[in-house]
Amino acid sequence: MQGPLIDSLTRQGITRRTFLKYCATLASMMALPPTAGRAMAEAMAAAKRPSVIWLPFQECTGCTESITRSHSPTIEGMIFDMISLDYQETLMAAAGFQAEEARHNAMKENAGKYLLIVDGSIPLAIDGAYSCIGGRSNVDILKEAAAGCAAIVAMGSCASYGGIPKANPNPTGAVSVADVIKDKPIVNIPGCPPIPVVMTGVLAHYLTFGALPELDDKGRPKAFFGDTIHDRCYRRPFYDQGKFAKTFDDEGARNGWCLFELGCKGPVTHNACATVKWNGGTSWPVESGHGCLGCSEPDFWDAGGFYKALSTPADPLRFAAAAAVVGAGAGVAVSFANRAKKDAAKTAHETTTLADLEK
Amino acid sequence: MSLETIPIHAVPPAAGLSGNAPPLLHELHAMLRRLLDTGASSSIDLSALPLTPADLDWLRDKLGSGEIAVTLQANGESTLDETQCSGIWWVTHRNPQGAVVAQFIEVAFVPELLQAQPQDVEIGLDYLDSIRADL
Repeated sequence: MQGPLIDSLTRQGITRRTFLKYCATLASMMALPPTAGRAMAEAMAAAKRPSVIWLPFQECTGCTESITRSHSPTIEGMIFDMISLDYQETLMAAAGFQAEEARHNAMKENAGKYLLIVDGSIPLAIDGAYSCIGGRSNVDILKEAAAGCAAIVAMGSCASYGGIPKANPNPTGAVSVADVIKDKPIVNIPGCPPIPVVMTGVLAHYLTFGALPELDDKGRPKAFFGDTIHDRCYRRPFYDQGKFAKTFDDEGARNGWCLFELGCKGPVTHNACATVKWNGGTSWPVESGHGCLGCSEPDFWDAGGFYKALSTPADPLRFAAAAAVVGAGAGVAVSFANRAKKDAAKTAHETTTLADLEK
Repeated sequence: MSLETIPIHAVPPAAGLSGNAPPLLHELHAMLRRLLDTGASSSIDLSALPLTPADLDWLRDKLGSGEIAVTLQANGESTLDETQCSGIWWVTHRNPQGAVVAQFIEVAFVPELLQAQPQDVEIGLDYLDSIRADL
């Protein structure tokens, strides 16, 4: 079971050449230099299957669906088969005491070396009683499993930031993995659900370089979350030209203009949807005509209405002109003005009503 | 229903030249010189650079096409086309759905991906053994 990765790939009919191509594209997607593809292929081919324990907490299984149903059979899916997934409640055949025993065995045999994947948030209210597995609370199980792991991958927005369970008024007291565990390296892969290739990319990076990839200030791999959706959006030229769809069925919408005024959260959302896309590169939300919901950002569920435009200037030219008039000397005043604007925006946050959807 | 029947123009009007393509010719010149002097191959990851579709067309047009055009079927189609400058290859990788996933310009006598890999050759050898045994 613990043989090198390449042997398992070979058994499934993947040639070395195909694997080289895959690694070259993965390196490109992760913004690594072209030579990294070769290094990745060598390291991954020789790597032993790492033991992985996957703990689901307050979640909807959407993250598991996203990974396991990523357009099969992809090499992503196969590499995912190549990890030694020793505990995953949704996928494993074992149940009850057998299942718990498998988890304990994996934790004991691979102490200090296994990778812990968590999806779902952790409820802390009434001593974590809102979500229990085998009579033990999620927070209890997480602390036990985290103690012996090498690193934690928080899969999806719930594990990364609390997600929908944490949405106001957060009845279960849901928190993220990073709120509970402070002494282990944690990679957040937010998204509702997250993009499958990000998971493979993190795994590939871990196997190749023996370390987790570089993270941003919210704990996300920079390679995939470095740019905003807006920065890489193919509709960006329309934003720059001031061409916006005003409703979902006007001329602008039919011409594929920018969805900013329909509430697109692309300008403040860091994710790779615009470049990697979904369903094997078929399309992604903005391409299908709907604004970005911002699902890979903390508390996206409470960030105003999905169909409320962001409270930033919609006209970049007017914004630039205003900034030029103010001049460099008035920087302090501008920051105060921005703070006031931010407060105003915060108090102006409203819940979405049916009327918002029909405006 | 196919995507074409949806009356939304998803592709913006052709963006113009950004001016980012011409410097690549200088870089390619240095890379080709290095290949001749030291035999070291190198490559440029085109998707990592801010190039518009028009920039890519311009670059492709300037480099022209050479004598060899290779199609590789490996987890989707890849094309490895020699340009008019022998030793410079335009490499496009597609996924099984046909979408471009990566694009490189490689400077090498033969792109690495074209060479048979020893591990694959071993599998071929085993296969030959098995059909010889059946003779």
